[in-house]
Amino acid sequence: MQTFLQLSIIGISMGLIYSILACGLVLLRRATGLLNFAQGDLLMLGAYISFQFLVKMKWPMLPALVSSILVYALFGLFFMFAVFWPVRNSAWPQAALVCTIGASMILQEAVTLIWGSVPLTTKPFVSGTVSFGNLKLQNQYFLIMATGVFVILLIFVLFDKLYPGKLMQATAQDKYAARLIGIPIVMTIAFTYVLNNVIVGLAGYMVAPVFIITGSLSSLQYKAFAGAIIGGFGDLRGAVLGSLIVGLVESYSTYVTTIYKDAIVFLVLILVLIVRPQGIFGEKIADKA
Amino acid sequence: MRAFRSSRLARPLALIVLAIAFIVGMPRISSVYNIMVMDSAILYFIASLGISILLGMGGQLSFATASLMGFGAFMSALYSKNLGVPSALAIALATLSTAALALFLGLALLRLRGAYFTFATISFAYIATSIYNNYKPFTGGADGVINIPTLTIGQWSPGDLYGWFYVLMAVAVACFLLVERIRGSYFGRALASIRDNEIAAQTLGINVFATKVMAFTIAGALAGLAGALYAHFSTVVSQAQFTFDISVNMLLMVMIGGVDSTFGTFLGAILITMLPEWLRPLRNYMRLIYGVGIILLMVFMPYGLTGILRSALGKVRGKALSRKSDLQGGT
Amino acid sequence: MQAPVLRLENICKRFGGVVTAENVSFELHAGQILGLIGPNGAGKTTMLNLISGIYAQDSGKIFLNATDVSRMPAYRRARMGLARTFQSPRFLQKSTIQDNLYLGTDLGEQLGYWKSFLGRRTLNFREEVRELMRLAHIDIDWAAPITSIPYGTLKLMEIVRAMLEKPRIMLVDEPAAGLNSQEIEYAVALLREAADRRGIGVILIEHSMEMVMNICNDIIVLNFGRIIAQGKPEEVSSDPAVIEAYLGTEETACAG
Repeated sequence: MQTFLQLSIIGISMGLIYSILACGLVLLRRATGLLNFAQGDLLMLGAYISFQFLVKMKWPMLPALVSSILVYALFGLFFMFAVFWPVRNSAWPQAALVCTIGASMILQEAVTLIWGSVPLTTKPFVSGTVSFGNLKLQNQYFLIMATGVFVILLIFVLFDKLYPGKLMQATAQDKYAARLIGIPIVMTIAFTYVLNNVIVGLAGYMVAPVFIITGSLSSLQYKAFAGAIIGGFGDLRGAVLGSLIVGLVESYSTYVTTIYKDAIVFLVLILVLIVRPQGIFGEKIADKA
Repeated sequence: MRAFRSSRLARPLALIVLAIAFIVGMPRISSVYNIMVMDSAILYFIASLGISILLGMGGQLSFATASLMGFGAFMSALYSKNLGVPSALAIALATLSTAALALFLGLALLRLRGAYFTFATISFAYIATSIYNNYKPFTGGADGVINIPTLTIGQWSPGDLYGWFYVLMAVAVACFLLVERIRGSYFGRALASIRDNEIAAQTLGINVFATKVMAFTIAGALAGLAGALYAHFSTVVSQAQFTFDISVNMLLMVMIGGVDSTFGTFLGAILITMLPEWLRPLRNYMRLIYGVGIILLMVFMPYGLTGILRSALGKVRGKALSRKSDLQGGT
Repeated sequence: MQAPVLRLENICKRFGGVVTAENVSFELHAGQILGLIGPNGAGKTTMLNLISGIYAQDSGKIFLNATDVSRMPAYRRARMGLARTFQSPRFLQKSTIQDNLYLGTDLGEQLGYWKSFLGRRTLNFREEVRELMRLAHIDIDWAAPITSIPYGTLKLMEIVRAMLEKPRIMLVDEPAAGLNSQEIEYAVALLREAADRRGIGVILIEHSMEMVMNICNDIIVLNFGRIIAQGKPEEVSSDPAVIEAYLGTEETACAG
């Protein structure tokens, strides 16, 4: 029972991290039609940048957080102009997608060049542990959960209630019409990239203390991919739900195996695809004939 | 009509002459080291042909190639080393096994379309790596599998790297012809129509899902064959040779040569395999170079070297076309 | 009278709240050219998509040669002899003209991938193409890339490709749009060849009233997804309901 509780908490925390990655993917997808294979690398970069401010430069918590967010935002803008903008009208439809794979390789290499290949750590932002009987859980997990919920709520409000979200939706649905009614497309796409990088970077900032910081942090994205697909791509609720499922499945699978928990997640993905190819919330999208 | 005829004959002829020159000439002028690099370039070429079919013809981007190649390698090692199957038969069995795995994967993953399918193959590659890393009975874990018997057919075996060059070249030429034949037959056209417009493909009587699954299975067989050959070629295989990065490399081979050109893929395979040799001082930055290379490639020449060549030729040809040769020209 | 090659029975289709087909029933016979007309948004192209199986109808039945194909995927309907063209021609953009036309014969031959791989052919492709190209007055190097052809020729070529499929039914979506009067004549010649000499049943969507009146044996008028009139061209053109719903909205379009 105690193990179950612990695994549930870990599963939900990780699920929320995957949710943030997956929501970012969905936002980018909506605004540009593009899938970002460097999503996990942006998270990894986020963790490294938090290390830079907190450990290398020894800044206090608040300035470090604010500066990190600023850097994430700027990098999001840069990322868009480096990786998406030059190929947005490419003759080859997969060009933009392949570019993000290139970006992923560059980021992987760049962090090793800048910060070295030795794994790094940051201190937990909230110290101490919570005990469940004889089991202990780092308080950081609860912070991760709180941040995750906050970020996800922020995205939902931004998208369903507020003007910028509607702009993004309109741009995604019909670029030509959006231009006709005077929506500044470059601005909305840029805003999406900035937002994506901020939330994903923040996720990196939060997980840095519980994981060691290495290039392999980027592999968190595969779980987010799985979550987004299970949820039915293109739907924010689905992305969150799917990611939570992935987080929990992954966590509970440690009952059976620790080595192959990734394989189990993937197996669940395949099962979902067989039963429901369009995902939980996805609709069967018919092409325009 | 005239143009149609001459191009139809001239191109394969030129390629055959080139290939013969290459096969005969290469081992004579190469050092042992170069021929080894060349051998592995040919192996990658065979696997990349699968990408050429799947992506170049069918427009489906998969990153499962290296994982499937690894499956072929480990299967062939298993058959020949643990079960005592003769190596040539083991290669054939491993190829079939990989095709079967690809068939199963294709049936599940190709329900996803476009980029979602790509996502799923990446997840698969990631999982495969973790299994290859950990499941010792099959892959030897981090140590890999050693002492795999070399290839023997009856009494004969390739012996040295030069012998292997001829064996691999023969297989590569056979696969090359197979892929070219596919390109020129209904299957290739069906794939092309799926790539361009799935709706139109359906109204032309093409079963889109089944065709994609077939393409994925054939690509899997080619990757499996390359992996199995590799196992007996090097007699040592380990998971480090079948990572996601290798899939990216193979994708680069196809793209740098030209995504819709089989011959371009061959050029690409040699180029990408040789590149780390040529850029030896920059060895530690290879991933960085590849990453920047990919983006530049996508921005400036999405159809690769042959794409540039073709558009140059197309301009020349466009002028010639204005004379309008006609259908009556010949039968 | 022969059994119809195509029969629709009470076809209904909605997209959200929009009705695009409501209780549509009609028959098409071999060698018949049936005009499908109506104002923009009347549901004409939707009807073709329903027949070819790209959309699934909400209710109703579709029969091809007396076989119920209501739940059959599009590709199997195509293999049963249902060919179609699109408003904007859809070809393999990176291939030659020849490869594009082969896609038609591939279906016409019904060979399958394997036999095609082995190099079997049953039809005399060249003869066939030459004859059709003569009718369409297309005179080109067919090793040239498809992108080298002007738009009008492409549209004609799509009809040629559909005929190479050896269909029993051909759905033709606005063949005259974007064509000059000369090319329209060629399109008419192709459709006549299809219907009169090859006995193909043709459903034609077209905005050019001249072409519709000239070539169709029968006409169905759709408005908001319903059939509002049906009959010979001269009957339909004098039908008050049609004049109100269709001709009235497009002012002088049909003065001829």
